[in-house]
Amino acid sequence: MTDTLVRPAPEQAKIVDNRAKMWPRVVVAVLAAPVIFGAFAAVKGVDPLAMYADMAMSLVDPTQAQTVLVRASVLVLAALAVAVPARAGLLNVGGEGQIVIGAVCAAGVGLVTDQRLPGPVVLTLMVVAAMVGGAAWAGIAAGLRLTVKVNEAITTLLMNFIAIDIMLLLIYDPWKDASGFGQPASRPLEDTARLPLFVPGGTLNTGIVVAGIALVAIWWLMSRTGWGFRLRVVGGNPEAARRAGLRVGTLLVTSMLVGGALAGLAGLVHFAGTEFKLRPGMTANFGYVGFLASWLALHRPLRVALAALLLAAIAMTGDSLQIDANLPAASVNVLMAIVLLVVLGFTRRSNK
Amino acid sequence: MTAVAAPVDSATALLSVRNLTCRFGAVVANDGVDFDVAPGEVHAVLGENGAGKSTLMKLIYGVYRPDAGELRVDGVPAAIDSPAAARAAGIGMVFQDLRLIPAFTVTENIALALPGRGVRFQRRALSARIAEQARRYGLPVHPDALVAHLSIGERQRVEILKVLMAGARLLILDEPTSVLAPQEVDALFAAVRALRANGLSIVIITHKLAEARAIADRVTVLRGGRVVLRNADPAAHTDAELVEAMVGRSVPGLAGHRQPPGPQVAPVVRLRGVDVTGDRGAPALRAIDLDLRPGELVGVAGVAGSGQRELCEVILGERRVAAGSVHIRDVAVHGRPRQALAAGAVGVPEDPLTDAVVPGLTVTEHLALADLGAVRRGLGIDWRAVAADAARREERAGLRMAAGDRVVAELSGGNVQRVLLTRALGAPATVVVAAYPSRGLDIATTRRTQELLLEQRDAGAAVLVVSEDLDELLAISDRIAVLHNGELAGIVTPATTDRYAIGQLMLGGDQAAGGSGSAAAGGSDLR
Repeated sequence: MTDTLVRPAPEQAKIVDNRAKMWPRVVVAVLAAPVIFGAFAAVKGVDPLAMYADMAMSLVDPTQAQTVLVRASVLVLAALAVAVPARAGLLNVGGEGQIVIGAVCAAGVGLVTDQRLPGPVVLTLMVVAAMVGGAAWAGIAAGLRLTVKVNEAITTLLMNFIAIDIMLLLIYDPWKDASGFGQPASRPLEDTARLPLFVPGGTLNTGIVVAGIALVAIWWLMSRTGWGFRLRVVGGNPEAARRAGLRVGTLLVTSMLVGGALAGLAGLVHFAGTEFKLRPGMTANFGYVGFLASWLALHRPLRVALAALLLAAIAMTGDSLQIDANLPAASVNVLMAIVLLVVLGFTRRSNK
Repeated sequence: MTAVAAPVDSATALLSVRNLTCRFGAVVANDGVDFDVAPGEVHAVLGENGAGKSTLMKLIYGVYRPDAGELRVDGVPAAIDSPAAARAAGIGMVFQDLRLIPAFTVTENIALALPGRGVRFQRRALSARIAEQARRYGLPVHPDALVAHLSIGERQRVEILKVLMAGARLLILDEPTSVLAPQEVDALFAAVRALRANGLSIVIITHKLAEARAIADRVTVLRGGRVVLRNADPAAHTDAELVEAMVGRSVPGLAGHRQPPGPQVAPVVRLRGVDVTGDRGAPALRAIDLDLRPGELVGVAGVAGSGQRELCEVILGERRVAAGSVHIRDVAVHGRPRQALAAGAVGVPEDPLTDAVVPGLTVTEHLALADLGAVRRGLGIDWRAVAADAARREERAGLRMAAGDRVVAELSGGNVQRVLLTRALGAPATVVVAAYPSRGLDIATTRRTQELLLEQRDAGAAVLVVSEDLDELLAISDRIAVLHNGELAGIVTPATTDRYAIGQLMLGGDQAAGGSGSAAAGGSDLR
């Protein structure tokens, strides 16, 4: 009778996650992903080591490195747009649409004023317009959730398509650039109203400063303010929050508004920093990749920056995968998905 | 406290347990436990929550496996490695949470528990056998009744019959009285005596001394996983001795009753004609009129699910009323907890994990939720002020709460309860609504909690306490409101009412309080 076969685990023995135990798991996960993807590449007849060497080399190039940082700036904002509502337990899958609306609002204001007002004024107006637009777009989903109880994950996702159609509607007709050779695109923003570059002739723009400021601000809001604490309570247990007298509805709406404003800001940075005109496909899935980045970072603001950098770098190496390793373009998505699944699989424990 | 020599040795015992040890990680739930059950005896196993009673029973019933030690049945070593093996050895267990299928009849439920005998289900024969056994053991149930239509007491009888008909000679009852009204307890004990007269052995797990005295031939007391009193004669020990054995030290009694404030004192909580719809859409409270006055403690008694939860929730603004009104002072509380909290109400929730515990938040952070407005500093939270407030509450409550940086969701149930009690009772309040405040607590902490409730009352708060333990309510209440099926069956004063009158009201007996004379009458004029 001294054998200890299967015995139901008592409650006391429940595994406790804490940060000290978490980090080794993250490291293992980050290392596991390349191994899995390497095996995948090997099956396709590509030497994994050579492939990774090529990928790494492609990042050393200064032009490429700048592009990674430019993309990462947008991704950080797009990821924060997911992370803030996630603290309150909301799933914002609408980053893509909120980015588009942000870009549309920025373009609307910018294209009207850029030839009359000084550049900094135009930029400031564009920032405000983009944030208000993104917040309002996300606010619709929050409002629907509170009034008619539609799940915000569904509304935000579906509203992405509406947002894209609104942009297309504008650039196919009223905002279409007359001198654009019939292409559906708006006219480019004047140089004065663009986000300034760090190095003339390069691509790295001050959007990275905007992203950095937003990152610090959100970190402060989440970890140092009463609002951030209340969001954690609502996200952790809405019923307990309600019974503790918190205004749950207000907190849900404000978290979504802040998320939408951040996505709108991402739209501005991408529009006024890289694209300069509205065109179909301009958002390049930033909303969805930002969603991945936020989940990868488990919605912690500072980790979001690392996740955004990692995903931006992976996306950038996609060219190398195509050109050097001769893998299909979709391979880069496979790699991102593997990273996400492995990290989540290693670091998240099911609650009961 | 020395162990009394066992009057039976392991050769004549039906079941004897020797040196049984069971560990869960670092926790030793049972540590070298010795325990005997003689044929034809009722043996009570006493102990506090966490003393290892349930673990011992689950070891005997084959749910857990011991790390060391031996079980003997009829003096022969038995390898009980599963509940099926236990049943084959004649050991049956009735769990606290009854395991019947509501949509099936009594006969069908019992058929499920019997060893399979071919494909044919001889319903009629089985029903006849059930009826016969029910008569024999004094466990009246109708074989064709749907379990969903039975009361908790009746379901328990079905469960006992089920275990008996599966061939049990030793019946383990896990806290069988916790869900029963006093009359039902009497009926259960009568049945237990009938079983004993038929030569069966019964083990009753309990933490209530009075019950052990009423029914048991012998008692064994567990504390911290060890046996502190083995196979003892309950008559040979005083209550104080037994409590000391359970707790490890003596527990002082509570201060006595006082006169409740009279009707001339303006109530602080006023419920008028309150109807409430429950979670499943059925009426949960009907036409409740109830006043709580400052400086009085009102107990709420009732069979589980009679509307206790909803009553607490409407007062705290956590649930909307379908009709009627709830006022705290002059504030109409209508489904908005903020208003009730602003008016000075605090609550101890019935279900902490779903209603109060926020995953990932620490003890200090949970205490901050008591009054976030008071600890604001600019846009932030003054965590020093929170810690200071927590220390004050802890000091005042004296409930030995877990350290401030512990994550509440990772604490045991009793420790979660201490956190919530410290938060609610550690500062002055106008209204206290406590649902099952001593759930999961040891005897000493339960006593301290009762003192805290009385201190709140003496400081002028209106206190409402819901409890399953009538003795607790009789000890601390100024008045007891009895709920039956969502209606206020009566309001009685403990000094002039006995537990049987309250039991009648709990079970919905009309004019039930007639025997004691005071109950119904006292209710109407003291409302």
